[in-house]
Amino acid sequence: MSFIKDYIEKETINRRNLLIAGAYGLGGVAAGGMFGPSMARAAITDPTIAWSYRNRTNPYWNEIVTGGEAFVESLGMNKEDLVHLINEGSSEKSLADVKATLARTNGDLALAIDTNDAPNARPIVEACAEAGAYVSTLWNKTDDLHPWDFGDNYVSHMSWSDEGPAEQTARILLDAMGGTGGVVHLGGIASNNPAIERLQGLKNALVDYPDVELLAAEPADWDTQKANQVMSAFLTRFGDEIKGVHCANDTIAYGVLEALRAEGIEDMPVVSYDGNPQAVQLVAERKILATVFTNPHWGGGITASLAYHAATGAFKPSEEPNEHREFNGPSIFVTPDDAVDFKTNFLENVPAYDWTDFWGPSNGPIIYK
Amino acid sequence: MDGILNRDTLLKWAPLIVLLVLILFFSVMEPRFFSVRNFARIAIASAPALMVALGVTFIIIMGSIDLSMEGTVSVCAVVFAKLFILMGATMASWAWLALPMALIVGAAIGFVNGYVHVKLKIPSFMASLAMGFVGTGLAMVLTGGDRIRIEDELFRGLLTTRWFGFPIMVYVALAFLLIGWFIQSKTKLGRNFYAVGGGEELAHGSGLNVNRVRIMGFMLAGVFFAVGALLAVGRIGLAETATGNNFMFLSITAVVVGGTALWGGIGGVWNTLVGVLIVFVIGNGMVVIGLPGYIQDGVLGILVILAVILSTDRRAISFVK
Repeated sequence: MSFIKDYIEKETINRRNLLIAGAYGLGGVAAGGMFGPSMARAAITDPTIAWSYRNRTNPYWNEIVTGGEAFVESLGMNKEDLVHLINEGSSEKSLADVKATLARTNGDLALAIDTNDAPNARPIVEACAEAGAYVSTLWNKTDDLHPWDFGDNYVSHMSWSDEGPAEQTARILLDAMGGTGGVVHLGGIASNNPAIERLQGLKNALVDYPDVELLAAEPADWDTQKANQVMSAFLTRFGDEIKGVHCANDTIAYGVLEALRAEGIEDMPVVSYDGNPQAVQLVAERKILATVFTNPHWGGGITASLAYHAATGAFKPSEEPNEHREFNGPSIFVTPDDAVDFKTNFLENVPAYDWTDFWGPSNGPIIYK
Repeated sequence: MDGILNRDTLLKWAPLIVLLVLILFFSVMEPRFFSVRNFARIAIASAPALMVALGVTFIIIMGSIDLSMEGTVSVCAVVFAKLFILMGATMASWAWLALPMALIVGAAIGFVNGYVHVKLKIPSFMASLAMGFVGTGLAMVLTGGDRIRIEDELFRGLLTTRWFGFPIMVYVALAFLLIGWFIQSKTKLGRNFYAVGGGEELAHGSGLNVNRVRIMGFMLAGVFFAVGALLAVGRIGLAETATGNNFMFLSITAVVVGGTALWGGIGGVWNTLVGVLIVFVIGNGMVVIGLPGYIQDGVLGILVILAVILSTDRRAISFVK
């Protein structure tokens, strides 16, 4: 219960503070604009708001974009007013779409974007800065690219650090196994950063459990059907040696649970990641012991909101500290004790977020290794 | 070479030999591979893909190609799940009607595929690929990006109830394999597929309504895609836009590896069965013997090329497109 309660309380307080800070901020920006370094252009009164992302077929990205739509609606517009730039996993299309939109809007653009891969972030940010548009990025950027190097136009970057939370779910799993036996890990696409971090989290936890053996770690490509097949093959290879399963995300866990169900195995400890609605339900039923909710709805909304409010001049990014320009998104644990509460408060009734509380729910600055 | 070991016989049986060699290889590497429980696991994984591959087999025999499987499978899975939940959410109610309705949806998509291909004279490759995208989009609109869980114990019995060590879904797949074989060898439609694939002009010249055969073929494929969708939902207990993912690569690979030629007229449902088993035995076997994940895809690719080399007569064709 505690995770959720703390989180909601923190949220409420933050919201109150931010309203006050927001009012102050508006005044501050106006004053800063008068005396500060001259901006390349005046604030945009009515920027086009766009979200550029992979596609909506993926439930995760669907949540992100739903958050973007909720933000647009909070401005009194229709959700159709959000411009969708869908890259279908192509960095080239991503860049071409952004350039076309910059030309069409004459730079009056507030852009939220996942640039599909890290190297693509730089040309996109440069194109936006050159056109005088405002851009906030999510997930992908190279380590040498920083918002503060572009004045106000590169507003912010948000990512998630998964190693710590994955280590904590691993500890829940290893404790449930009684600290002995074999564990298998089913990972995401091997080269994806979250996949690497989540496996590393398990390895970190294993250091404290000398009697647990990591039998195997195989990529399951974030895919339910592939996870199902890999888990079946693990059962052939290791049989009863498997005492617990560490999954890199919920879609993998669904496949794992069904592979176990096919064999009549009902009580295997399984942990996962992402906090999708079905997974939270499975946590409530104790079929999954823990998952981590990263609140993509908030992430999608706040990324658009940051770009928008920077564009309208509601706040001046260059006056914010670095940890307000590069920061980690929220990670909330969901365990069987609080799953039902969590489901009611976050999934069935999506909270009406205060989209000007830019940093309240975030999780500290991004630390480079 | 004469007698039993002549070239034609070898070519005909090559896919089966490849399959047996693979099974032998994995069994020697890891004896646990060779067990009823593991064969059941491979069968469960293969069943949905076998249905999809059977559907596309008929189209490939005609010398066309159907690439709409991912979209069709997603739409059928989602429509089935939606109707199933709407009409009672258990097989013990009218919800069972969602099963035949999913097949009708599959046939309808196949009809549109065939109609667009034949009447608008768009190559089947393009027409079906486009329809596949339409299907994925439609599934997306229907679900709004969500997953639909099917909890009904009776429906999930497809996976959880076993006869002789194999779940019911494996027997369902076998039944449809037999239906496929019956259509292929005992019906006029089946023979017409070969006629069109072997020489379309000749078939047309002898008075065969080639367009009708093509549309029927795409409808039949759509029905098999729908059966694949139902088994996929039965296996995972989830219907979503992503249900159709990967079926295109899996099914086309399996058909070709099984020895059905992409230029039409050669092969059939038994080849496809062997092809699907080869692909899934490789997938299962590589994990079972503990091959590192990052080389599995590469090994699969090489084995696919090897299987095609072994199972098709390269001398019989003058050029490859």
